[in-house]
Amino acid sequence: MAKKDIYLNQIAHGRSGDKGDTSNVCIFARKPEYYAIIKREVTTDKVQAHFGDMVKGEIIRYEVETLKGFNYVMTHALGGGATHSLRLDSLGKSMGSAFLRMKIQVEEDEI
Amino acid sequence: MKKVIIGGGQGFWGDSNDAAIHMVKHSNIQYMACDYLAELTLSIMARQKLKNPKAGYARDFLDMMCACGEDAWQKGIRILTDAGGMNVEGLAESLKQWAEGSGLRGMKIGYVTGDEIKADIPRLLAEGVTFENMDDVGDFQEIKDKIFNANVYFGHEPTLSCLEQGADIVVTGRSTDSALFLAPVMHELSIHPDDWDQLARGIMAGHLLECGGQGAGGNFDYGWREVPRMDELGFPIAEVSKEDFIITKAPDCGGIISEQSCKEQFLYEVHDPANYITPDVTVDISQAMLTQAGENRVRLRGVKGKERPEMLKLSMGYHAGYKVAAMLSFAWPDAYEKACMAADILIKKLKRKNLKAEEIRVDYIGLNALHLNVADMDPEKVKDINEVVMRIAIRTLTKEDAYKLVPEISPLQLNGPPGASFFGGRAKVQEVIGLWPTLIPRDALTLRSHIIEIK
Repeated sequence: MAKKDIYLNQIAHGRSGDKGDTSNVCIFARKPEYYAIIKREVTTDKVQAHFGDMVKGEIIRYEVETLKGFNYVMTHALGGGATHSLRLDSLGKSMGSAFLRMKIQVEEDEI
Repeated sequence: MKKVIIGGGQGFWGDSNDAAIHMVKHSNIQYMACDYLAELTLSIMARQKLKNPKAGYARDFLDMMCACGEDAWQKGIRILTDAGGMNVEGLAESLKQWAEGSGLRGMKIGYVTGDEIKADIPRLLAEGVTFENMDDVGDFQEIKDKIFNANVYFGHEPTLSCLEQGADIVVTGRSTDSALFLAPVMHELSIHPDDWDQLARGIMAGHLLECGGQGAGGNFDYGWREVPRMDELGFPIAEVSKEDFIITKAPDCGGIISEQSCKEQFLYEVHDPANYITPDVTVDISQAMLTQAGENRVRLRGVKGKERPEMLKLSMGYHAGYKVAAMLSFAWPDAYEKACMAADILIKKLKRKNLKAEEIRVDYIGLNALHLNVADMDPEKVKDINEVVMRIAIRTLTKEDAYKLVPEISPLQLNGPPGASFFGGRAKVQEVIGLWPTLIPRDALTLRSHIIEIK
């Protein structure tokens, strides 16, 4: 079966929030059947590789299958957090869209 | 089946009052809770109070009461808010003057004091409290003389006590946002303070409502194009009984209440969904379900609660230096290359001025100032962009060092690469407020509930 690369935002939606220098991004499958793809593709290792040194701490993924969603908690992720951070987006409001910009691999017939 | 209907009237300090006013006028809410406090807000209010002892609370709440407070009082809608910030008594006094001036005889204004414990720090240190940073950074000894404020996040108890004493308005400082919603749920449904499952449901009502419009189609990634009448966005309303739990919104306003809009708010700023810690209860939403139950109505099920934590969260704001950010814009051709050269010139000049900076950061607005590493910086695409804004930001220990950047920006209009445009006036040096989250024992805190009756 042929594989293709897609942006995560084609199959998922989400929102980012902040607590100090910790960013949390919750991600939900746009259709229930996409939950398994996200579970397989969006591992904490891949998220770490995606963000590189933008996220300096650890990344934890929590699964909430009843909501077909995941909560990713990333520490030392906002350049020090408000107001330490020199980033334009010190609260990480765009961390959600940055997360969903991740490329993932799916089978041709999976979506 | 007794139920309580609560609206979320405000998502943060600076939010619009339109939805709250509409909700009071057109919905069947019995309570409205309005959250004004984000993590940094209390430190900003502490700085304001230092300059003016009468300041230190969210004046915006007074504007809201002027616009809809009398209407709410006549309809029997009781209002709860953390707008008291660092000066709860100050806001209570201003509300008293407003209520007297409006002739609202018999109105009861409740307020809660005691969450600000900066003065108690030396005693608590002597008693062995270590104030260890929850995020594992820094040494408390280094910041203990630079603290602006130290506020403990507290739960429902003193707010519920105000409601039990008949308060029509309750003003607090650092109550958790969610406890402002939990208190009326407990009051109306007679929920016992160790009925963990029921407490958890009340907390989640708060969680879904405390960010205002973000719970009703604002900041909605799933389908933002399809949100109706975003210019008249309604804020969410919860209808809670012991058996059922519905999220909805007022009639005749914009916004959307759908499974997806509720989901995006549901996990927002939650860390471990099985252990969402609040002073009132440890909430477990790891098995929760959200289902559509009608137009703009979503049902929540499966929320569980566990025993509340022994310790309370204390958040301190402290002086952590200075920062300044400045910008210059450039247009085609070679906009990005010119912007890079401008940044390079500035960094050389700052070095010559012997700048001592903790951090220097350069971003290009229009290219990578939001997505940073993740932005697409393919040279082929970047080469032909129409325009870009160079942004340079520095963080320093002294104000003098931060100021070194300020006069260097506008001269680059004539002294740098072509077409630089300076806008927005001279950059302002800002004080950096550090946050120090820590845990303290419950008994370190003495909260008091007060009632003022309008004569």
